[in-house]
Amino acid sequence: MTDFNLKFTSSPSENTRTYKLLELPPELLKEIESQGEQIPSSWSIKGQTTEDAVLCTANKTYALRSVVLSNSVLVVTPPMNNSEGNPDTDVVIRDELHEILELVPCVPKLQGLRGMLRGRVYDEGHEDEDEDMDEDVEGNENENSQEQVRKQAKKRKFTYADAREMLQSSDGELSEGLKQRRILILPGGELRPISHSLLTTILELLLNFVVQFSLPHDAASVADLTTAIEESQDIRRQVTTQVMEWFGDISKEGGKWKMDVEGIVKEVGIGILRSYKDDPIPEDEFLTKWRTAVGDSFESVASLPLLSGNYLSFPSPISFPPIPVLAYFPASELPSDPAARFNDLFLTRPRWKADEISPFLLDICVNNKERDKLLLKFARAITDSEGVWYTARAKYNG
Amino acid sequence: MIIPIHLPTPGSSSSNTLPPQFAQFGTDEVVLIELQGSLEVEGDKANQRVGKLSIDSTTKKSTLLIGHNLLEGKLVNLPKPLAVLHRNSSKYSSEQLENMDEDVEMDSKTKSEQKGWDVATVVRRKMVFAKRPMPMVGHAAPGAVVSSVEKAN
Repeated sequence: MTDFNLKFTSSPSENTRTYKLLELPPELLKEIESQGEQIPSSWSIKGQTTEDAVLCTANKTYALRSVVLSNSVLVVTPPMNNSEGNPDTDVVIRDELHEILELVPCVPKLQGLRGMLRGRVYDEGHEDEDEDMDEDVEGNENENSQEQVRKQAKKRKFTYADAREMLQSSDGELSEGLKQRRILILPGGELRPISHSLLTTILELLLNFVVQFSLPHDAASVADLTTAIEESQDIRRQVTTQVMEWFGDISKEGGKWKMDVEGIVKEVGIGILRSYKDDPIPEDEFLTKWRTAVGDSFESVASLPLLSGNYLSFPSPISFPPIPVLAYFPASELPSDPAARFNDLFLTRPRWKADEISPFLLDICVNNKERDKLLLKFARAITDSEGVWYTARAKYNG
Repeated sequence: MIIPIHLPTPGSSSSNTLPPQFAQFGTDEVVLIELQGSLEVEGDKANQRVGKLSIDSTTKKSTLLIGHNLLEGKLVNLPKPLAVLHRNSSKYSSEQLENMDEDVEMDSKTKSEQKGWDVATVVRRKMVFAKRPMPMVGHAAPGAVVSSVEKAN
């Protein structure tokens, strides 16, 4: 038996509320334990005063929850100095806690990006009818760069640092989110989503030049392509390079680009389809357009399944015999709440085939099992001679 | 708003360590003591003695004598390890600096450059005093000036 004196700290006001207990999931424990073996990583707690705080590691986001304890936990340490006690016989209570913090993995909250970047679409000299471009149409860079600089200085820029500060997301997830949303990081860290037309133009040019220069698809020279595109269309190298990163990988050492052929062909297809939202295009006509746009070498990749979740196919009501027509219908613009999404889908069409509806559910469920669960909950299955149809389970009013 | 949390780097631990008997109940820097109810103090509690904490290293049992109340404690392994976070505001550090030893001062100076919270250590065990206190008659602990109020349940 050894006896010790349990004491209060000599400076309670400075010590109370300076300790917290944080429950560690296994992967975070590992990160702490492996400190020093690799580059030191840092965590941070993020959130505006109105939001629930989250904890971000380098590439993951966790929701922070406070769990209240009915017991109290004393944080006991050795005395800080001789006046506080004798380190051999005294131990000191630093703080008394009544809660611990729990971490639950959560998805990064990047939805805010859309609103923050509204009206900041990046376009170089191309008009884009899809977007509200009043103040954003920029002139040719070389001709009136002076004016452009003044214009940009007037308007408050929204930068990567701002996004990092405001969004509850880890750095890794933020970068990935920017990539997926096709948002450019311009000099000075300014964030601007690329316009649809400029993106399509760059991708078509990339495909053309890769063929024209006979570059290998898995190791195309970044310098050659960006220079060629800058010379022919006056599109900044930086912009082209970022687009190349979205659609493939750029090797760090050699400046070689491994292109994602399917990704590019798909994006070009969506680009063409985008103008046929309310005015459907016959399937054959669309495929011809698409194949022309991607060029001879890649036309074999262009096939409709690549675009699943982005179009609706139905027989044309005005021609006889009916020919299949396509209309642009992107899953990404549907509501993310399952109930609202099913409501939207059944407003668009009263009944769906199983394989027709599933592409539009892909992005709101993690696997097929969860998709079937959603179908069971929000749709009614009817089997007839043509197979299984799904119809609305109930009429939602609002 | 971003509040940084600094992970411990090897070798950055403070020079002060708990007596070796405590290590098995937590770490050599921090021990968590769980009580049913809480310590209630009237008046200034700064530097006051709470009670006598006895540790038996072989049986891994501990007792806490507060006034006439004797508590029995045991070692409990935490289901999930806990990181002990410590706030590191510059205000706190500068005030602490004045009454600190030379070596501790250096340590705290370097820390105060980075605001936020530090992961002081990771604990996997705690000392739990779960039972109701036993009255100790005629065994008054000398110097016990604080009284403890235990929740009756």
